[in-house]
Amino acid sequence: MSISDVAAAGLPAALVIRLATVTATAALTRRAGACRGVALGGSILASAVTTTVAVIVIVSGRAIDGVLVRHAASGIVLSYAITPLSAWFLMVLGLVAMPVALYSVGYFAHAVTAPRTALVGAGLNVLLGALEVVFAADEVIVFLFAWELMTLSTAALVAVEHESSASRRAAYLYLVMSHVGTGCLVAGFLILAAASGSQSFPALLSGHVVFGPTRELLFVLFFLGFGVKAGVIPLHVWLPEAHPAAPSSVSALMSAVLITAGIYGLVRVCAFGLGVPEVRWGLAFMFIGTLSAILGVLYALTQTDIKRLLAYSTIENAGIIVLGLGAGMLALAYGHGALAALAVAASLMHVLNHAVFKGLLFLGAGSVVMATGTREIERLGGLLRRMPWTGLFFLVGAMAISGLPLLNGFASEWVTFQALLLGFASTPGLVRLNFPLGGAMLALTTALAAACFVRAFGISFLALPRSHGAAEAHESPAVMLVPQAFLAASCVALGLFPGAVLRTLREVTRSLPGLQPRPEMVRGAMGMTSWATRPESFDHVVPALLGAAMLGGLTFAAWATVRTGAAVRRVPTWGCGGEQDARTEYTATAFSKPLLMIFRAVYRPTRDVETLAEVSPYFPQEVRYRSAIEPTFERYVYGPLGRGVLWAAGRMKVLQAGSLHAYLAYVLVLGVLILIWLGGPM
Amino acid sequence: MTDALYTVGLALLQSAGLLAAAPLLKTVIKKMKARLQNRQGPPILQGYRDLSKLLGKESVRSETASWVYVAGPRVYFAATVAATTLVPVLMAAAPLEAAGGILLLVGTLALGRFALATAALDTGSPFGGMGASRDMTIAALAEPALMLGLFTSALAAGSMNLGVLVRGLLQQGPSFHPSDFLALAGLFIILIAETGRIPVDNPATHLELTMIHEAMVLEYAGPDLALVEWASALKELLYMTLLVDLFMPAGIAMRAAPGAILVALLAWAGKVFVLAVAVTVAESTNAKLRLFRVPELVSISLGLAFLALAIRFL
Repeated sequence: MSISDVAAAGLPAALVIRLATVTATAALTRRAGACRGVALGGSILASAVTTTVAVIVIVSGRAIDGVLVRHAASGIVLSYAITPLSAWFLMVLGLVAMPVALYSVGYFAHAVTAPRTALVGAGLNVLLGALEVVFAADEVIVFLFAWELMTLSTAALVAVEHESSASRRAAYLYLVMSHVGTGCLVAGFLILAAASGSQSFPALLSGHVVFGPTRELLFVLFFLGFGVKAGVIPLHVWLPEAHPAAPSSVSALMSAVLITAGIYGLVRVCAFGLGVPEVRWGLAFMFIGTLSAILGVLYALTQTDIKRLLAYSTIENAGIIVLGLGAGMLALAYGHGALAALAVAASLMHVLNHAVFKGLLFLGAGSVVMATGTREIERLGGLLRRMPWTGLFFLVGAMAISGLPLLNGFASEWVTFQALLLGFASTPGLVRLNFPLGGAMLALTTALAAACFVRAFGISFLALPRSHGAAEAHESPAVMLVPQAFLAASCVALGLFPGAVLRTLREVTRSLPGLQPRPEMVRGAMGMTSWATRPESFDHVVPALLGAAMLGGLTFAAWATVRTGAAVRRVPTWGCGGEQDARTEYTATAFSKPLLMIFRAVYRPTRDVETLAEVSPYFPQEVRYRSAIEPTFERYVYGPLGRGVLWAAGRMKVLQAGSLHAYLAYVLVLGVLILIWLGGPM
Repeated sequence: MTDALYTVGLALLQSAGLLAAAPLLKTVIKKMKARLQNRQGPPILQGYRDLSKLLGKESVRSETASWVYVAGPRVYFAATVAATTLVPVLMAAAPLEAAGGILLLVGTLALGRFALATAALDTGSPFGGMGASRDMTIAALAEPALMLGLFTSALAAGSMNLGVLVRGLLQQGPSFHPSDFLALAGLFIILIAETGRIPVDNPATHLELTMIHEAMVLEYAGPDLALVEWASALKELLYMTLLVDLFMPAGIAMRAAPGAILVALLAWAGKVFVLAVAVTVAESTNAKLRLFRVPELVSISLGLAFLALAIRFL
């Protein structure tokens, strides 16, 4: 038995483990502790199996396929195939799912009530199993079934705290939008299946099935279907509602890997499944990506709910991923296989990096919420002293997401910049101006993200606590810290060894049609290169060398300051003549106020100052300040859409009059019409 | 092995040289400003005296501050020092060219800024928060203009690596393409914005309504403050050197010969002095802009950089 035979048994084995785990949790409903242990232990085991299989596929470069279900009587055989692209997404999933499950052992004990432990544990396993099948599915039926299971299990997890109307609303919104998306997918796959006469992905997505306007229609359908899950603007409105509503470790999974299901679809179908992309497809992706990145980070900047902030930042990162993918599609349209390989590699690298740091940040936020009882950063502060480890790990995540060198966010943004600049250098005409513009917008996004996370970390973790809950916070147990430590260490490792990641991606991109990855992309495990027509590389980067230089600088700084030998004196912060306390601290709202004012065309902020006075308005008793930003998409896009649907439903109510005779008449008329239609051509 | 030693030696020499020169630049600008206002101004060595005074003092830190407050100035300093090794100064090669190019340089400076802005929130003083907020705001607005300006030069030279880029520019010989002037003007505005000069920020005041960078570091004292001041001066010198490299590379030594290096040293000092005069004039003839007018200035820079790119390549 060779290693690939063993690996071929991996995915079915993992699914059997998940099934057994779900059954066991159902049996252990009454014993929360045991139930938690079984659900999460089984989940870690299954994830370990699939991750191993994924790594085998990536390292060997050969796809693994096999059969999921064989029903002898009906002759139905449902098969799966783990291609290198699937394996990449499976690996990302496993890398986040394992720490998240371990973290949940501690987190669920506190954050999920005992009667609901079984539901959450089972839901988590169903969600992860569905995601694994989505990435590995080789047939339309299997894919759509898993896709729907993924949607439903997520909705159940979002609505765990169904007493709160916000949770119910979030779950409902998520279900509605997901199903509109799934509807688009079903329509798209039906058209493809009818055109190709097959249901298997290799036949459907060979790129020679549909042409002309049908191809354009399919592109739009699949973009809508997968875009909803990826959370790109303007299909994002469910995301900032649903991600925060779920328990934090589930939020981590949703932000880190659920959106990658959408990205996987965009890559597999929109970019590589419909034949060589059109120039306008690439441009559309770049535009949507840039829009999502900029607006995502701008909205994130003004949030004061830490989980909503992270959810909006997920939209930003989905935008960066789609921007890179769009650049790759544009390069493919111009027949530039090497450039396309670089751009797609950038996009896939950001999928991994985002999953790692966003998973880390959501776990950190979960610890904070558990310790303080609030998600409002205006009520936090001073947590670094009370939760030193959580604070340290959150800081690492914040620096990684801000694209700072030595950490992983920088690495994938570097590759994206390279793809954009080389795109400018190697495409013709006016179209190429889009590349440096995209680059400038990416630079703006990165810098705004840095501002956003200075604010998120600084206001939450530094200075004095702003509420009783924050003052009384305690560090999380080790079982919750170890997963965060693992993810933080991954941020550093992926940042210092980007060459190793890029080399892996070179194998993945080689398996995709039209891509010709250049061997010089990788310079050792620590370095990355991009090429030029000249003998020298266009650019290269070895972050570890910079790290060495910084160590030198730190040493000198330590020497210059310690040499003085003078003591350190601790004094209270100067309070401008008054008492310095938490009320005089700068707030998160104040921190983002300059950007709110500068980008007021986007935010359209409203504010409302109310002064309550008894004697004279010059001696106010109380000043109330309320500010809000206009939810543009919700109000101007989805508002009219929702009203339109309700209006149409109201009109159609006439048909459903409740009269049995009328219904029988409908059946008769429809039957006659069908007979005419079927009999007509003969 | 000898190669590695040579690289390390060169990197040490270059960062030490720039560290030594940075306080002088700060004082020279102060002095010139004073003379334009008919004042005497500080002695030319005042920058060094200030630093040595601050380094000799005791550290005074807030009771509420954590290790982040201590780490902030150190990371800021280390990042700025590391950034100096990525830029060619006298020779047409950066000592740590192998580490990376423009993107790494911009990222490293962003790392320093992130550290300092985060640390500023640690004392609980509203000044720190206000300064950090404004500093990050202006940096965010300046970033796309900076990148676009740098892209133009990089695409013209065919490389993002500063060493390769400067060698390419030197080989091409002096170009007086209109796009160079546009990009230079754009990047000069960014230089002003990123180094906290009038009309964006006022380095000479401690009035809370007008200051940005100074508000952010208001709580620092003693050796901590010395590191911040020194790194800020170094950052200014670094930006000027970068502008010199991109737009006036003539004089930079192609070979490591003593004569050529000497010429390069004089040329570099002269060119940086010209930029220092330009900064002085800009500071002396302008009033500080309101914070909410700064975006307009920065968008001019963005527009200039985009125009430069467009007329260069279309």
